[in-house]
Amino acid sequence: MAAAQLGGAIRGRTAIVAAGNTAQGTIPGISADELAVEGLRITLAEAGIDKSEIDGLITCKSFGGFGIDTEIGRLAGLNPAYSATLDYGTCNFSLHLACAAIDAGLASVVAIAYGTNQRSAGNKFGHPLGRQDEASVYGFLNVAGPAAMAFRRHQHLYGTTEADLAEVSVSQRRYAVDNPLAIFREPTSVEDYLAAPYLVAPLRRPDLCMISDGAACLIVARADRAAELTDKPVHVMGIAQQTGLRDRQNADQWLRPWIQQVAERIYPAAGIEREAVDALYIQDPTSIWVLQMLEYYGFVEPGGVGEAFRSGAVGHGGRLPLNTNGGQLSEAYMWGFLHLCEAVRQLRGEAGARQIEGLRTAQYCSTFGFMKAASTILSTEAS
Amino acid sequence: MSGYETPETQDDSRFWDAAAEGMLVFQRCDRCAFVRWPAAGVCPECLDRGYTWEEVAPRGTVWSYAVYHRAYAGYLRERVPYDVALVELECGVRLLTTLTGFDDDVDPMGAAVVARFEAVGEHERVPVFGPA
Repeated sequence: MAAAQLGGAIRGRTAIVAAGNTAQGTIPGISADELAVEGLRITLAEAGIDKSEIDGLITCKSFGGFGIDTEIGRLAGLNPAYSATLDYGTCNFSLHLACAAIDAGLASVVAIAYGTNQRSAGNKFGHPLGRQDEASVYGFLNVAGPAAMAFRRHQHLYGTTEADLAEVSVSQRRYAVDNPLAIFREPTSVEDYLAAPYLVAPLRRPDLCMISDGAACLIVARADRAAELTDKPVHVMGIAQQTGLRDRQNADQWLRPWIQQVAERIYPAAGIEREAVDALYIQDPTSIWVLQMLEYYGFVEPGGVGEAFRSGAVGHGGRLPLNTNGGQLSEAYMWGFLHLCEAVRQLRGEAGARQIEGLRTAQYCSTFGFMKAASTILSTEAS
Repeated sequence: MSGYETPETQDDSRFWDAAAEGMLVFQRCDRCAFVRWPAAGVCPECLDRGYTWEEVAPRGTVWSYAVYHRAYAGYLRERVPYDVALVELECGVRLLTTLTGFDDDVDPMGAAVVARFEAVGEHERVPVFGPA
């Protein structure tokens, strides 16, 4: 189907009514599934919503296959009308599925839940990427490998420097200073960054996210139900996705140019111009993802990311706040769920010391590895 | 045991066997001539199932590379630092590999390269790429 025929304009039909999470870090002695239920419990309690209101449950598997709906529903004592499990994370895809289910009349109040204990489990993410044989033979392990290759390619094409890339993690860390949830809260500088040793050159430790134990949960509701459940609904204005399922057979696998197609769809779907975005959230398992998406969504010209931070166009203290929670690079991996929790808190004015005043519209952009991209536009107003 | 027949799956052994003999081979679609990698039972361009393994020119350019300073698995500990590269072959395939024979002061990005078949780790002869 041609992109122009796709909709995604669900403006005013669904809203996020609650967002919550557990602490992040090392939480031994509790399973990933139980953590997910704990995230659900905290979110419902904070929002004053009883679990009997939930008639939809969407979960996504953590690494290792935990977190399926049949297990989470069993532990949480739920028999929702609708449930599903995504085989991959990033809460954009869970959120979009919740919106679709609500819009189709399958459910009216949907919990999207995620829990993980990958830090306690000692997962080093050392599994090969790409074909097992090649990746094993050549040692192409960890997401740092393709991210490093993507950045070197970007440098080759646009002259981007390592100091440019440093701006991403340095800016996000400045927000994390005021975020009690963040695992890394010490401020850093470009000089600190450049003095750090390479992990997978040209990437360094600050370019890679922190794996944590923890859980997060959001409650999404049909508009009329949302109005009953909260006086501060965060409206879903538009959604868009694009896949790159051909993977290795794509023209530029690591650069993922197909992300641009989400950018072409999301603003028409939400009925806004890019300039109306007051705060931007980009899922950042590596800093390269931020660089790529700032360019693909048109917030900066290709190669201009470093200057965009230095000039104050984006980032901490700039005109476009970016990852005000510190992102995954400071806060925790959590498959992107905490970005959406933060966006909801910022739009509701509940972000504490790091609250940005006057936010009405936020955009969340994420990807699932090298195969899927998604974006959501959220607003304090329904139209 | 289950009574079900295991479906035939595509494996890459033909590629590695050829590499041991100093050749690069890939599947070429019998219908549309698309050269594909990794090995697959169906052409991603035209969905035809017919293919022929074919030797290709062992030449290309360095699309990008990364240098691992950390071993993400035990068997790589003695290899760090090592590089991993993606080489864009003349036949269109981008092949994961490693680089060899470049002077330390040379940046191999974009360099014309040709395949050599050398030991990597415990593997006796696999494709690696050096200056053309």
